Amino acid sequence: MKQSPDMARLEQVLRSGRIVRGGFLGTDRRPLAEIIEADRAAVTRRGLTCERIAGRMAELTAAAMGRLGTWVDAGGGLQVRAEEHKGLIVCPWPHPARCRKRITTARRSETGQALQWTDLSIHLIGKHAFFQGRESAFRMEPDALIDFLGLTGEATAEDAGIWPTPKR
Amino acid sequence: MAQAVLAVLAISGVAAMLALILVVAERFIARYGSCTIDINQGTRQITIEGGKSLLNVLTEEKLFIPSACGGRGTCGYCKVTIREGGGPILPTETPFLTADEQEQGLRLSCQVKVRNDLVIKIPEELLSVREYTAVCEKIEDLTYDMKRFILRLQEPDRIDYVPGQYVQLLCPPYPGSDEEVYRAYSIASDPAETGRVDLIIRRVPNGICTTWCFEHLQEGQTVRINGPYGEFRLSDNPAPALFIAGGSGMAPFVSILHQMEHAHDTRSVRYFYGGNQVRDLCLLDEMKRFEEHLEDFTFVPVVAEPGPEESWDGRRGLVTEAVSEEFDNLADYEAYLCGSPGMIDAAIKVLKSLGIDKARVYYDKFA
Ligand SMILES: Cc1cc2nc3c(=O)[nH]c(=O)nc-3n(C[C@H](O)[C@H](O)[C@H](O)COP(=O)(O)OP(=O)(O)OC[C@H]3O[C@@H](n4cnc5c(N)ncnc54)[C@H](O)[C@@H]3O)c2cc1C
Ligand code: FES
Ligand SMILES: [Zn+2]
Repeated sequence: MKQSPDMARLEQVLRSGRIVRGGFLGTDRRPLAEIIEADRAAVTRRGLTCERIAGRMAELTAAAMGRLGTWVDAGGGLQVRAEEHKGLIVCPWPHPARCRKRITTARRSETGQALQWTDLSIHLIGKHAFFQGRESAFRMEPDALIDFLGLTGEATAEDAGIWPTPKR
Repeated sequence: MAQAVLAVLAISGVAAMLALILVVAERFIARYGSCTIDINQGTRQITIEGGKSLLNVLTEEKLFIPSACGGRGTCGYCKVTIREGGGPILPTETPFLTADEQEQGLRLSCQVKVRNDLVIKIPEELLSVREYTAVCEKIEDLTYDMKRFILRLQEPDRIDYVPGQYVQLLCPPYPGSDEEVYRAYSIASDPAETGRVDLIIRRVPNGICTTWCFEHLQEGQTVRINGPYGEFRLSDNPAPALFIAGGSGMAPFVSILHQMEHAHDTRSVRYFYGGNQVRDLCLLDEMKRFEEHLEDFTFVPVVAEPGPEESWDGRRGLVTEAVSEEFDNLADYEAYLCGSPGMIDAAIKVLKSLGIDKARVYYDKFA
């Protein structure tokens, strides 16, 4: 996939450790546009949108706010806690967006399975369909994240098996 | 054939010539000549070659303006007032400037390029900000995710600050982090020991500076800090005071309590310090010592949910809940807050409901 010069410049910023330690792309050698497209496709296959996923993450973070880092029951079998540090961090995309340095941990009560994201992760997923590169510190696998959050979307034609059966 | 080659050569020659003219022109156009910057109505005047950002120029002149993003226009800390010559506000600045600030001429100094003479105003206290080299003399574990870094100043070898103020620590590039960054840390030492700066730092998952401090910085290593900055400090008012902190928010209060001890301050202080578990609390012995040495000081550690293995017979719940249980009315009090922005928001809500005057609630506005 050919990337625009803007995308290539952005990829350079994301690979560097200028904004977050180790950069946003981890060990992923795929071009940025390909990473984004592959994750977006995974989300679409589940009948969801990145905005909806980010919206649910933001709801969970909001449920934990004001509880000063202690666990809160967020419903749907999830417990959440949000820890915050002073200061702000910027979005690497070329637009003025800043996030608080807040980290949310969510865990499933019955299994203990846990996921962590930051306010910046929510912004990157919701606004830029960017789940980060493989093995970056806050990479989120779209399918695993969707399952964890318990989100269900409208199944796509392919998922629902309603493609016309090929004629023999 | 020969004609075609000649034509190609001629076109290439013309193109090369144009490129050269462009380069020369750019150099020429980009020369802004010498520019004079008047600081605080003639308190200081500097003359420099134009073309650099105002923040860089001031830093080179050893005038340190707070900055956490290395001048990339992303932290919003580097504000100065430009009275004349700043040109129009750039789109990169507007997200950081309120309408009032724009009206008053505030600008992000890292975004303003010095192209002509400027008349600027910087807060008086920034004129005394210095850069220091220091040796990291000792690193102590305070909790599982907090350490105290004791810095011995080298050059200059003493610092004057008001307890409550902070310094900026330079985090150099290291594997995984490509550029120098500065991060703010409150001074947590005894102001009487002018050659020493203690920092209490809490680890942030995958944070640039905290990972460097926790995994790379060694005892004996030289570091650079600049400061002091900030307006957080104890007022001269004798009113009873309420301190509320969590985690590394302990730092400025250590310094303030030392100051009170030296001044034999008889002011009444209640200090509520919260952690999620017992293992999140630090410096309990030092607080006990202050209770013994200060006339009217009570330290109230509060634990939200002691861990299954932890024994705790102190206060339980959120630190803000402990405050609202303790007091019916705080109208006569002053409150000092240090912790996460979430804790500060929650505390302000509680304090308001207990009748405290908003003007008597102090915290670092950079939070
Ligand atoms: C006035 C002031 C005083 C302060 N005093 C103290 C003090 O006394 N003690 C103290 O401990 N702190 C203090 N701080 C906070 C301190 O300045 C730093 O902000 C803090 O230590 C974190 O810095 P860092 O470089 O480690 O984190 P940063 O690198 O700036 O981390 C930013 C955020 O990004 C997240 N992140 C990292 N990688 C990713 C990724 N790939 N995707 C999404 N998100 C990611 C991190 O988890 C974190 O939430 C103070 C701040 C201010 C403003
Ligand atoms: S230095 Fe960070 S915005 Fe100017
Ligand atoms: Zn963005």
